Amino acid sequence: MIESLCKTLCGVPGVSGAEFPASETARLLLSEYMPDAAVDPFGNVTGSLIIDKNLPSILLDAHIDEIGMAVTYIEDEGFLRIGRVGGLDFRVLPAQTVTVWASLSDKPLKGIVCTLPPHVAEDAQKAVKEADVAIDTGYSKEELEKLCLPGDRITVDSEFIKLLSGRISSHSLDDRSGAASILYALGILKGKGHKDLKYNIKVVFTAQEELGGRGAIIAAYNAAPEYAISVDVSYGLQPGTDERKAGKLGKGAMLGISPVLDREMFLSMKRLAEENDIPYQIEVMSRLTGTNADEIGINRGGVRCALLSLPERNMHMPVELLQISDIEAVGKLIALYLEREAV
Amino acid sequence: MLFDLLKEMSALNSVAGDENEVRDYIIKKLKNTECEIKTDNIGNLLVYKKGKKAFKNKIMLAAHMDEVGFMANYIDSDGYISISPVGGISPAVVMGRQIRFKSGIIGVIGGKPVHLLEGDEKTEQPKISKLYADIGANSREECEIYVNLGDPAYFVSEYFEFGNGFIKGKALDDRFGCAVMLSLLLNENEYNFDLDLHYAFTVQEEVGTRGAAAAVYNVKPDMALVLEATTACDVAGVSGEKKVCVLGGGPVVSFMDRGAVYDRELYDLAFKIAAESGIKCQTKTQIAGGNDAGAIHKAVGGVRTIAVSAPCRYLHSPSCVLSAEDCKQTLALTEKLIVKMAVL
Repeated sequence: MIESLCKTLCGVPGVSGAEFPASETARLLLSEYMPDAAVDPFGNVTGSLIIDKNLPSILLDAHIDEIGMAVTYIEDEGFLRIGRVGGLDFRVLPAQTVTVWASLSDKPLKGIVCTLPPHVAEDAQKAVKEADVAIDTGYSKEELEKLCLPGDRITVDSEFIKLLSGRISSHSLDDRSGAASILYALGILKGKGHKDLKYNIKVVFTAQEELGGRGAIIAAYNAAPEYAISVDVSYGLQPGTDERKAGKLGKGAMLGISPVLDREMFLSMKRLAEENDIPYQIEVMSRLTGTNADEIGINRGGVRCALLSLPERNMHMPVELLQISDIEAVGKLIALYLEREAV
Repeated sequence: MLFDLLKEMSALNSVAGDENEVRDYIIKKLKNTECEIKTDNIGNLLVYKKGKKAFKNKIMLAAHMDEVGFMANYIDSDGYISISPVGGISPAVVMGRQIRFKSGIIGVIGGKPVHLLEGDEKTEQPKISKLYADIGANSREECEIYVNLGDPAYFVSEYFEFGNGFIKGKALDDRFGCAVMLSLLLNENEYNFDLDLHYAFTVQEEVGTRGAAAAVYNVKPDMALVLEATTACDVAGVSGEKKVCVLGGGPVVSFMDRGAVYDRELYDLAFKIAAESGIKCQTKTQIAGGNDAGAIHKAVGGVRTIAVSAPCRYLHSPSCVLSAEDCKQTLALTEKLIVKMAVL
């Protein structure tokens, strides 16, 4: 179920600031658990399950936007110039196949990121810079002007695939996998008939996280929760990273400790995981977390926040990689947390 | 037919030293023709199509079956696979992709995320020797169930048409050349050449035009016509002579590259035929690259050689791009050129 949720969510575009297709897909999936699921004017997907007005409210958050590019200019010879949207990794762009979500065209355009071959390339040691990136759509300037507009988003194509050890790889697992974990948790709770819930649940799949948590600021204000659990991806151990900074794939949910996160919630989460044999690991961040939790925590009069992260390799590349059992661990932990008295 | 063949062959996986898939495909395609087919010691597929009569000059066409790809050279204790390129590949087109190993299993080539880069790492393009494929294995033992040392690996890349008459796929260098040769061999009615023709589908071009050296020895032609996809740099930010050749400019007939100086009479003949037939034809505006002509022209006491190529963007990447019109014109020019070469 988790694999198919991730595959569905990763299969629709939703670059920061232009999330609609992904937001709508996520809304549809959320509506199975929250009939009031909606998309706000900023692209945030919202929903709620009010059990009892005396219960505290908790916001479950993941971001629905993905990094990408936007068309900025059409060269005379027909090549598109771009601007990055979010923290794109330029090292992986040359010769990639991309999709240009051309707003005036009846279907999206295919393009290739221009590059020079090894026979003539000047400096193979240096990664391409944003100003030098161009997209070849096979159209002339005149043709392109009828098909696309500045601001049209561009995503890198990569097939969603399954690897060994229950691992999956795709673009946008950051943070559609987080959204999947929340949907999975809601599924567990629905399956139990919402019996033991200790919170009114609000959900947001936010827009524009990659631009600085902007959707979260808006959505948290509107949801006005007392507590929040954010789910995002964090670094997974791989060559070049070290154990001190990365979680291990397969070792479960990364529970966040940070000066900006609520320590009581962390401790409660940890106890729950231990009591229920849910695999977990601990992620210590001595400053801001770099996730929506940073924005949600200072919303209105303040929100008590916890952060659960998924260890992920190759962050911000078209080949992001996670383990399904870690997504499952996060989902199960969220479901259990919602059935335990608030701290 | 040309494009159907090209599409099918682009999907086949054959790197230098491992050309079986393409060779078997061609043999199968030629099953009901009356060609003499043999595979030589190094793996070249040598096809001889007898014509109605022998002509003055013995002609050999050549295209290579191998594409650029990778080889698994080491598996570490955590199950990550170190890869080396087979043929010249820029590291920038390797990172952030999927590759498929011989067993069919796909590995992803990722790396340290951009957020964690420090100092010089931020602007550096990691070398291929620092890259690795991840199939999701947790140990060397687990990995070795699916991948062995020395296993070849290929770019995962879908063939498609896009834009206004453009084609993208892996290995168009030189499945295009192979597709031209197969079109000539299979299209009985259109290309019923009077003359005997030798077709060499060569191996190991990408690691030093090695198959061609053996092929030319086995065939001993007077003249050779090499069919290739050649590097076009007519992309954003490149102007003037640095474009080398352009898509939409028609077949490329080069006077010289880093491997060969082409026969001047054949070169002039090609342009003359093109002009007379209304075929757009261009030359390369830089002396760069090389192909099987490098091995062929100086072998067996000398072979008068010409190369006719389709201009191709993003060569040696998973996304080679050709113009469909250039492909058709390249086939047309080749067919006319062969006939004139035979009586020179």
